[in-house]
Amino acid sequence: MPAVEETVERVREIDVDKYKYGFSTDIESIKAPKGLSEDIVRFISAKKGEPQWLLDWRLEAYRRWLTMSEPEWANVHYPKIDFQELYYYAAPKSMDKPKSLDEVDPELLATYEKLGIPLSEQKVLAGVEGAELGTARPGVAVDAVFDSVSVITTFQKELEKAGVIFCSISEAVKTHPELVKKYLGSVVPTSDNYYATLNSAVFSDGSFVYIPEGVRCPMELSTYFRINEKQTGQFERTLIIADKGAYVSYLEGCTAPMRDENQLHAAVVELVALDDAEIKYSTVQNWYPGNSEGQGGVYNFVTKRGDCRGKNSKISWTQVETGSAITWKYPSCILRGDGSRGEFYSVAISNGYQQIDSGTKMIHLGKNTSSRIISKGISAGHSNNTYRGLVSAHRKASNARNFTACDSLLIGDQCGAHTVPYLEAKNSTAVFEHEATTSKISDDQLFYCMQRGLSEEEAIALIVNGFVRDVLQHLPMEFMAETQRLIGISLEGSVG
Amino acid sequence: MDLPVQQFRSEIEQELLDSFAALHDALPGAQNDRVAKLRSDAMERYASLGLPHRRIEAWKYTDLRARLGEAYPMVRPSGRPIDQAEIEKGLGPRVANLDSYRVVIAEGEFRSELSDVQALKEAGAELRSLAETLEHLPDDLGPLLAETGEQRSGFEAARPTGRSGAGPDPIIALNMALMTGGAVLRLGDGVSLDKPVHVIHLDGAGEPVSSVTRLIVVTGKGASLDLIESYAGLGGRGLQRNALTQIVAGADSHIEHTKIQREEDEAVHLSNWLLTLHENVRYNGFQYTNGGELARNDVRVLFEGEGTVMNFSAASLLKSRQHADTTMVIEHLVPHCTSRELYKAVLDDESRGVFQAKVIVARDAQKTDGKQMGQALLLSEGAEFDTKPELEIFADDVVCGHGATSGQIDEDLLFYLEARGIPEPQARALLVQAFVGEALEQIDREPLRDALTGVTADWLGVKLD
Repeated sequence: MPAVEETVERVREIDVDKYKYGFSTDIESIKAPKGLSEDIVRFISAKKGEPQWLLDWRLEAYRRWLTMSEPEWANVHYPKIDFQELYYYAAPKSMDKPKSLDEVDPELLATYEKLGIPLSEQKVLAGVEGAELGTARPGVAVDAVFDSVSVITTFQKELEKAGVIFCSISEAVKTHPELVKKYLGSVVPTSDNYYATLNSAVFSDGSFVYIPEGVRCPMELSTYFRINEKQTGQFERTLIIADKGAYVSYLEGCTAPMRDENQLHAAVVELVALDDAEIKYSTVQNWYPGNSEGQGGVYNFVTKRGDCRGKNSKISWTQVETGSAITWKYPSCILRGDGSRGEFYSVAISNGYQQIDSGTKMIHLGKNTSSRIISKGISAGHSNNTYRGLVSAHRKASNARNFTACDSLLIGDQCGAHTVPYLEAKNSTAVFEHEATTSKISDDQLFYCMQRGLSEEEAIALIVNGFVRDVLQHLPMEFMAETQRLIGISLEGSVG
Repeated sequence: MDLPVQQFRSEIEQELLDSFAALHDALPGAQNDRVAKLRSDAMERYASLGLPHRRIEAWKYTDLRARLGEAYPMVRPSGRPIDQAEIEKGLGPRVANLDSYRVVIAEGEFRSELSDVQALKEAGAELRSLAETLEHLPDDLGPLLAETGEQRSGFEAARPTGRSGAGPDPIIALNMALMTGGAVLRLGDGVSLDKPVHVIHLDGAGEPVSSVTRLIVVTGKGASLDLIESYAGLGGRGLQRNALTQIVAGADSHIEHTKIQREEDEAVHLSNWLLTLHENVRYNGFQYTNGGELARNDVRVLFEGEGTVMNFSAASLLKSRQHADTTMVIEHLVPHCTSRELYKAVLDDESRGVFQAKVIVARDAQKTDGKQMGQALLLSEGAEFDTKPELEIFADDVVCGHGATSGQIDEDLLFYLEARGIPEPQARALLVQAFVGEALEQIDREPLRDALTGVTADWLGVKLD
């Protein structure tokens, strides 16, 4: 179906109007001077009162970064980023980590409420303000990160009772330096890639989670990232450790105001699962995607990696990607422990001029490891959506198993859907299966729905929701309803 | 920071440049200004690119620069007689004795006395030596010789750096610069041959040599051709081959095209197929690889006319430390075309199979139907299979898919056969044969299919009735 002029118009209107998180909060903030240098790295470190070892670690990363060049292999095009034109640290002025919610700037609280993330524990428990997140079940602990700092972490006391440590990473550096020192950079080394190295040098805040041996985390943990300031880069760092036999489910959400210029978000997420532990990591990424002309929006260059270090450990990534002008991320699993399992469920929706190059890596090192990849890409408007994934079995990874299915759906004739899977089997007992399909929404299905009284857009939303069902059912309840709505919104106006 | 200007040159890269400098006045077509220009342009392209290595995306799994030790001297045609026994020895009797029009390219040059030039002429086809053709280059061949292997569409066409491997190809450039001979076959409009044309490439008796040849095939409207290319050694001590086949399939033509590669253990085989398919073409291609130490088969397909159907399959049977790489780029530039690829690798010992296939569907190529499948059967602990089936789709009304599998022989199937009294070695061979058979079935002509089924059985060391 060719895109008619009317459709193009619709896309244009809708893109701008429908990003409901596009407001900005007028709040005074303290910023580091513009640009990047060793002094900035020292400034950030000093601001956070970090110990010497961490400063040295940052500086080493920074020096390393200077020698690296930006990766160019991804199917994304954008003008070169001027790293000297960014602010690497921005924090609300009122913010010296408050002890309790009462001390938090009401402006900030209002922002989060507007975003549908009530930070007040009473309110969360009452479920009053939680309507936005669907059936906000009581008992989701939230770490709210605003630009470069963590505003508040809820339910810390309750979690402490179970022995769970859930706090911002800056706090963890102070309170649990031994854990941070042991695990930080052990999954994503400082020299890993251009953006991860940059992150190591200038990371500001993020969440730290430690689940002790044998503990099943009593509630869902979540972090909500918000970029507010202009021209800032957000460099958060998340570290989650599940000790032997532990279980945790972690959610992550992100939004940003609408701005004409591009904002950089270069995060690093490290997961460590020891023997028999399980980590379930879910992301709903809804950064500002840019306007209908492709101006503005967030560059989301993220390194996420999980290390199944222990026997029979399991890491599962679920992601719903609807935002960002450019997405470049490959949540991966290193299946080191014998019998470990990695999973990746992804829905990536691109519209307007968005560009997505995302996928996963499943690296089978241990014996009897298994992995499963389900990826659904939906492209509309003028967007390009690439799945890029690697499945590899090393010499000693006997009986490795992988199943991969990636399906792409194209809506409109100005978009692109691409698949770049790499399969590397170095072990004869490894069994890998990969399948991918690309198609458009069938006219028959569309006709069937419309004949029953649905409008074309409703019909598309319905079919697309069916298309991505396999993935959505792996999301925690809290996100499912929200996500279904999000998919409707992202595709509105894309009737081709 | 990237190519095209390369500062450092490995020894072999320099040797190749030197051999051009030493040879270019003596190469065929040296007196023809256009050819001389094409050759020097090509050598310049090569000089700026160097040999491909693993940092070039398309050569990720085959590090040619690291694997080639030294450049062997160019083969010197001796003109010595080659008899049927020698051909049989090189190709094996099953393939050598296929009933066909024979074309022989030996020691880098076209051998008219061994080729059925006259019989082909009577059947309506024109066969000429490439060396002669280069002396008086016909206008329509100019653009063919200028082909660089550059990708015309998709992401990487827009990317200027040489990293992606979608830019000019150094192996094609070397072929253009250094080719010493080959053949040009033309079929006029409506010509249909009663037998296959079998182009036999024989090289390398004695000292290690390089052989650089090219085969150009142009078919007219509605023509029909069954083309077999076979490659074998003459029992020499080393061979580096750079062979290029260019086919321009005219509208409504029908082409069956098969390549059989059975060179000696030390051989390095670099092959390029450049296929341009016009409207309503039926093209059916097949590649059978089981010789050489290193084989790289590049296949580039351009769909330039609507309604064309391309079917490509390949079987690689590898042992010891053999390495075979099949890399395809299929560009759907026009609507209503169909492409199918099926790759099967049987990997024993420490061999390594590579299959990369990129299907690009350009913005206008609506109603494209593209499917690809790459499968490997790993027979031993040390074998390795790497595959990268890629789709780049810019049109919405298409059906495209790909699949890839890798695994060992299914124990249940083995048990089933053994339970019926078939001893294990035969049962295994039977299952491998069935696996490869799926690809062989794609060969339309029965005698050829039977011959290759036989070759497979020989490789497996079993007798199958």
